[in-house]
Amino acid sequence: MASLLQPDRVVYLVRGEKRIRAPLSQLYFCRYCSELRSLECVSHEVDSHYCPSCLENMPSAEAKLKKNRCANCFDCPCCMHTLSTRATNIPAPLPDDPTKTAMKKAYYLACGFCRWTSRDVGMADKSVASGGWQEPENPSTQRINKLIEYYQQLAHREKQDRDRKKLARRRQCMPLAFSEKYGLGTRLQRQRSGAPISSLSGLSLKEGEDQKEITIEPAQALDEVEPLPEDCYTRPISLPEVTTLRQRLLQPDFQPAGASQLHPRHKHLLMKRSLRCRKCEHNLSKPEFNPTSIKFKIQLVAVSYIPEVRIMSIPNLRNMKESQVLLTLTNPVENITHVTLAPCEDEDPDDINSTAKVMVPSKELVLAGKDAAAEYDELAEPQDFQDDPDVVAFRKSNKIGFFIRVIPQKDEDADVTVSFKIRHDFRNLAAPVRPSEEGADTAAVAAEAIWLTHHVELRLGPLAP
Amino acid sequence: MSDAKQIMAQKSAKIAAGAVVCVESEIRGDVTIGARTVVHPKARIIAEAGPIIIGEGNLIEEQALIINSYPENIMPDTEGMEPKTMTIGTNNVFEVGCVSQALKIGDNNVIESKSDLGRNVILTSGCIIGACCQVNTCEVVPENTVVYGSNCIRRVQSEKPQSQTLQLDFLMKILPNYHHLKKTVKGNNTPVRN
Repeated sequence: MASLLQPDRVVYLVRGEKRIRAPLSQLYFCRYCSELRSLECVSHEVDSHYCPSCLENMPSAEAKLKKNRCANCFDCPCCMHTLSTRATNIPAPLPDDPTKTAMKKAYYLACGFCRWTSRDVGMADKSVASGGWQEPENPSTQRINKLIEYYQQLAHREKQDRDRKKLARRRQCMPLAFSEKYGLGTRLQRQRSGAPISSLSGLSLKEGEDQKEITIEPAQALDEVEPLPEDCYTRPISLPEVTTLRQRLLQPDFQPAGASQLHPRHKHLLMKRSLRCRKCEHNLSKPEFNPTSIKFKIQLVAVSYIPEVRIMSIPNLRNMKESQVLLTLTNPVENITHVTLAPCEDEDPDDINSTAKVMVPSKELVLAGKDAAAEYDELAEPQDFQDDPDVVAFRKSNKIGFFIRVIPQKDEDADVTVSFKIRHDFRNLAAPVRPSEEGADTAAVAAEAIWLTHHVELRLGPLAP
Repeated sequence: MSDAKQIMAQKSAKIAAGAVVCVESEIRGDVTIGARTVVHPKARIIAEAGPIIIGEGNLIEEQALIINSYPENIMPDTEGMEPKTMTIGTNNVFEVGCVSQALKIGDNNVIESKSDLGRNVILTSGCIIGACCQVNTCEVVPENTVVYGSNCIRRVQSEKPQSQTLQLDFLMKILPNYHHLKKTVKGNNTPVRN
C-alpha cells in the first residue's frame, strides 16, 4: 500500500515554456505570478561552493583558481569514495643519534570501501597528517597555459575591434550640425583624432600592458608513433592490473592504463544554487550560505501553497465497470480553503494521458486551515462542516478523504490514468495590500482571494486480472 | 547406520581454554572452537551436516551465522552422505549479520556485515568480502582479494587486512563482565587443520 504514496502517482501540470508534468513535491510556486514553476522554467544561479566531506566553504573566485576541487580531501581513484588518513607507528632513526630508533608516526591514505591505500601506487608515507599529499604534475601544463593566454589575448583583441566598429558606424550617422549645436560634438571631435573613446578607456589601459605579443608554435604532427611492445599479443592479461574505463576517464590528464599509476585526486566541490522565476525575476529558493545548514532563506515550494491530492485506496479496477477510488486532499495554509473539482472537457488539449472516465464530486469541498496547535488544544470545538457522506469519507484537521468514481475505458496492460481540474482559492499574503478607501487600519483588511486552477493526473494502477 | 551416526555426532561443543563464548550464542552440533576466539551473543554456529572446526583468534560477531548445512537438493536422511567438515582458520572476522556456508576458510579473512558466502566457495587468506556482497560461485578466491560494491567487483589489495588483536584483547576483558560464558570443554585430540 505504500506504493500508493509514491510521488509520481499524482502529477500536476505546469504551464510554462514547456508543458511539464511533475509531482507537487518537486514544484515551486511563484506567489508574485501566482503560477506553478518547475525546475525547467526557472533560472539556476550558483550561490556558493563547498566540499561535501569537510564542508568547507569557498568563494567562487577561489574555487575557480583551484579548479573546483577541495584542498584537503581526496577521492579514491579506485571506487571514488572519500579517502581517510590513517596512521601507523614505524621505527625511524632519530636525527641526533642514528643508532637508536624511535617510533614515529607515518600517515597514509586509505579507502574504507575498497581497501585501496596510497602505498598501492608507491606513494611514500608522509609525516604530516594533512597537506603533505601532492597530485602528480601534468607534463603538458605549460603548453596548455601558453595556449590559453594566447587565445585569451586574441579574443580580447577581436572584442575591441568589434566595439570600435560599432561606434564608428554610430558616429557616421550623427550629422555635423547636431554635434555643434549641443557642444558635445567638440569633445567627440577631439577624441575622434585617433585615440580610443572614453567608453573604451578601461580597455585601453589593458592594451598598453599587453603590448607584448604572445606567439605560439603550431602543434607539430609526428610521423612516427611509439610501437607496441613485442609481447602485446602473447602476454596474459592480469585483470586486477588493468584500470576500468571509469577509473581512467576520471583522470583525463593521464588516463592511466595500469592500476599502479592511479593516483588520488582532490575531491570535487559541490555547489548550492538558488532558483529565480524567469518572468518576474523573484527568487523562488535561496539556501543558507552555511554548508552545514539545510534550511532556506527563501523557500517558495508548491506543497506549502497548493492543496495536495493523494491516493488512499484503490479497489479492483475492471474495464468498463464503475469503481470508487478514495483520495485525500490536504490543505497546507492556515486559513480555510474552498476546493472545487471539475472533470476535463472533451477536447481539452492538456488531457492526453487519461485512459478512464472520471466522475468527481460536484459540490464545493471545504478544507479547514492547518493549525499547528490543534492537537494540544483540548478545549477547541471541532468545526462543524456539513459533509455529505456520499462525497466525504472522513475529515481530520486539515485533511479530507473523498470519493471519485472511475470507469476504465481501455482494456490494456498499461496503468489506468485519470485527470481532472482542481480549483481553489489562494490568498496572496505577499502582494501589497491595497489601502482601503476609508483609510482604516490595514491589519483588518484581508488579502484578496484569487482562484487558481490546476490540472491533476493520477496513475491508479493496472486493471485487476 | 543410525547407531554409527549417533556415535559420530557429539552434542556438546568443544571449546578450548582461552576462548570467550557467550551463553546467548547458539551452538549446535559438533563444533570445535580454538583458543582466543570470541563468539558474541546471538551468534549462531550450526553444524547440521557435518562438524565445524574453528581455529584460533577468530572474531564472530552478533547475528553471524556459520552453518554447515545440507546442500539443497539432498534430503538429510540420504544414504551414503559423507559428513563434510567445515574448517575455519585463524584471525578471521565474521562481522554482524553475515552468513557463511563456505566449507573452507583460511586465515586473516574479513567477512563484512550481511555478506553471504555459498557452500562451494573456498577462501584463501587475506580476503575481504564486502558488506552485502553475495559470493556463491564455485571457486577458490585468490589471496588478498577484495570483493566490494553492489556489483561485487573485485580487486587485489597489496597487503592483508590488519589483524584484530587489539579488539580481541578488549573483548576478552569486557565480555565476561556482562555475559555468562560457556564452559570450556577440552577436546580429545587437537583438530587437524589442512
